[in-house]
Amino acid sequence: MIQNYLILSVILFSLGILGVISRRNVFTVFMSIELMLNAANLAFLAFSRLHESMDGHVLVMMVMAVAAAEAALALAVVILLHKHKGKLDTNVFSLLKG
Amino acid sequence: MFAEGLFIGFSVLSVLGALGLVLFRHPMNGAMSLIVTMISLAGLYALLSAKLIFALQLIVYAGAIMSLIIFIIMFLNIQESDLPEEKGRLTYLIGGSVVIIPITLFLIKVVKSIPNAEATIVGNGFGGVKEVGLVLYQDWLLPFEIVSILLLVALIGAVVLAGKRRVIK
Repeated sequence: MIQNYLILSVILFSLGILGVISRRNVFTVFMSIELMLNAANLAFLAFSRLHESMDGHVLVMMVMAVAAAEAALALAVVILLHKHKGKLDTNVFSLLKG
Repeated sequence: MFAEGLFIGFSVLSVLGALGLVLFRHPMNGAMSLIVTMISLAGLYALLSAKLIFALQLIVYAGAIMSLIIFIIMFLNIQESDLPEEKGRLTYLIGGSVVIIPITLFLIKVVKSIPNAEATIVGNGFGGVKEVGLVLYQDWLLPFEIVSILLLVALIGAVVLAGKRRVIK
């Protein structure tokens, strides 16, 4: 049943949002974002299977490329901030306040 | 019948992994449970007869990205004392759930209004390398090139950010 896959995707996306808003560890927040990207991928593939068209698969590959780029950049930023502040708390990283 | 059982097993495993990611305190435990989620999602992709994406999920997500994250977690050598003290974590979790659960139920209701179809495995090369490659290079050529530029920019950015040796006066 396609609907079950979509329901699972909604549940995983909500858990990802919950992780982003309730945790203060940088790594957990970052991995929750990865979880949300995966939930979106599952929805893409379910719709792709529903319509039997291959466009969803191509979009999933694009999302994977974006996730890889995001992982490289975000981890570089985390290393820099850890070097400067010595902490992993997202509240410490509020550097963009005017 | 066999596919239904596989679907139930993989979906329960992926939701448990996601719950572990949200609830575990140490990021290493969270990363391990996220790997469980990724691998069971790869199984679900195989059930949706996306053969290429199944392999890519295992190689790129569960392999490359997660090992990068775990490498960085171990590189920073995070002790129990380095973790932020999350005293109000349960409060935030309950408050977040109060906001998120109605939205989730609404979205599930929306999803249930979609015409249903059986998710049987499709044969004749659906989701294989050749078919996806044809779609990718015929209909999605420009986005594919833009993704290559994005990866180049991310590479340069990571080198500039992490490889800085300048001493700031």
